[in-house]
Amino acid sequence: MELLEILVLVFSFLILLAIGIPIAWTLGIASLLTIMLSLDSITAFTTMSQQFLTSLDSFTLLAIPFFILAGQIMNQGGIANRLINFAKNLIGALPGGLAHINVVAAMLFGAIAGSSVAAASAIGSILGPRMKEEGYTKEFGASINITSSSMGLVIPPSNILIVYSLASGGTSIAALFIAGYIPGILTGLALMALAAVWAKRKNFPVGERSTLKNVATSFINAFPSLLLLIVVIGGIVGGIFTATEAAAIAVVYTLALAFFYKEITFNDLPDVLINAVKTTSIVMLLIAASMSMSWVMSFGHIPQNVSEALLGLSDNKFVILLLINLILLFVGMFMDITPAVLIFTPIFLPVALELGIDPVHFGIIMIVNLCIGICTPPVGTLLFVGVSVAETTIEKVIKPLLPLFAAMLVVLMLVTFWEDLSLWLPRLFNLI
Amino acid sequence: MRNFIDKIIRNALVIIMALLVLDVVWQVFTRYILELPSTITDEVARFLLIWVSLLGAAYFSGQNMHISIDLLANYLSSSNRQKLKIFIKASIICFVLCVFVIGGGVLMYYTYIFRQITPTLQIPIAYVYSIGPLSGLLIIYYKLSDIWRILKMQYKENHVILNK
Repeated sequence: MELLEILVLVFSFLILLAIGIPIAWTLGIASLLTIMLSLDSITAFTTMSQQFLTSLDSFTLLAIPFFILAGQIMNQGGIANRLINFAKNLIGALPGGLAHINVVAAMLFGAIAGSSVAAASAIGSILGPRMKEEGYTKEFGASINITSSSMGLVIPPSNILIVYSLASGGTSIAALFIAGYIPGILTGLALMALAAVWAKRKNFPVGERSTLKNVATSFINAFPSLLLLIVVIGGIVGGIFTATEAAAIAVVYTLALAFFYKEITFNDLPDVLINAVKTTSIVMLLIAASMSMSWVMSFGHIPQNVSEALLGLSDNKFVILLLINLILLFVGMFMDITPAVLIFTPIFLPVALELGIDPVHFGIIMIVNLCIGICTPPVGTLLFVGVSVAETTIEKVIKPLLPLFAAMLVVLMLVTFWEDLSLWLPRLFNLI
Repeated sequence: MRNFIDKIIRNALVIIMALLVLDVVWQVFTRYILELPSTITDEVARFLLIWVSLLGAAYFSGQNMHISIDLLANYLSSSNRQKLKIFIKASIICFVLCVFVIGGGVLMYYTYIFRQITPTLQIPIAYVYSIGPLSGLLIIYYKLSDIWRILKMQYKENHVILNK
């Protein structure tokens, strides 16, 4: 690709994004402008249109609307409350009890519902007011909620890992899913450690120690929801169903559960469905637009050029991984996680493979890295949701967020340079 | 008019999504319970996904639900902000017209005259692709109507709450 085309692609993307054109259309327009430099108009329009349509034509992608729908159904009911209650009985007695409850509940919710944004808004809106009562600042609560919700993307089932599987040309979803556990839980522990230190220093109240009986009761109440994780992950990892089939089973299961708890009636179904369509179509349009941008880049041989440039700089695995991480952290500031994964996986994965890095490991590095990006301004979907739920502003949460980012960066470095963190579990289950 | 179109698309989306769920549940059922995997569910599901995605994109574009950042708008005077909004909507119209309507139309035409049919359902693939131009036309309608509303309201009073 000529320099001119790279400039057109990057600058049109940044300018269109900055003036407020929705991200999906920004990706599309920037790709179209770039491809029109090398193709005549009608051919450019037709190939772009073909990219949009064919990139959605995938049975793997189908898992995404189903996980979204299952999440919507659960949102109708009291699952957030049941998970919070379980977390409270489990770890509420630690210093900074509510912060820990938030971390555990957001991670569980994010894992079950497969959406970090849903986790941040469901858990944040329940725990936010309680934290304020106990003397936590709004900003501290919001920053804990935002960072811990991001881990729902690393802990399976996770839509973004499905997207990575697609972008990387079919890396095993089962392996990716199970690889996410240790890095995701590690991040949660790092956030909790930080919250404990903080709470000690500021003398935030400590919750009452719960009795074993209460722990047991709250566990039994949360169990049907937690069982879903076992069925879905067990089914996928055990090779019994595909991710899409597991997601469809998740829909049926959550629906049965919601009817059982009388949290949903037949008349609610159209609203639940349309809400699922909303998130689905927004994500799918982003996927289609991102894949067309990725195609425009490969049309211009960008992946090969970047690969050569990076490997020309150094052939040291650690240096290259550090460099890729730095670029992704920067990209994450300006791009949502889905487009970032779809556009940068084809660019960086060949480099990683060249250096002997396992695609599963690389996927986890990318997701853990970009999870920081969705919590940072100027473009951070999770940041926006977390801030609006807590009724505060981005400027005010930045300060309490900084130490949490530092903790996430430490975990990112561990995940990057210690491959066993990601690969031990998949190897244990003979998935790679 | 716009409310009427909204209502039709909304109902269509609910139905397609419900069909999608039933289709894949049926696939699981036939594979694991009946042990006679259905041959058409896979293809039907993929086509329904394309439809629900692009029709949904049109509907939620009409609701102005697509994620954007309003960094610049905060620094503008209200009349410039309206000009910016019109520019944003006009850019979307141009893109959708070129890619969804014209590009999608040409794609439909070629796949139709070359008789490309789907492997299991044996229907012209152009039918599946027809959602491209359809979604495009709907988006153009919504965005034109947005622009019209911005202009009209500005004519009456300087106060517009349209974009989220």
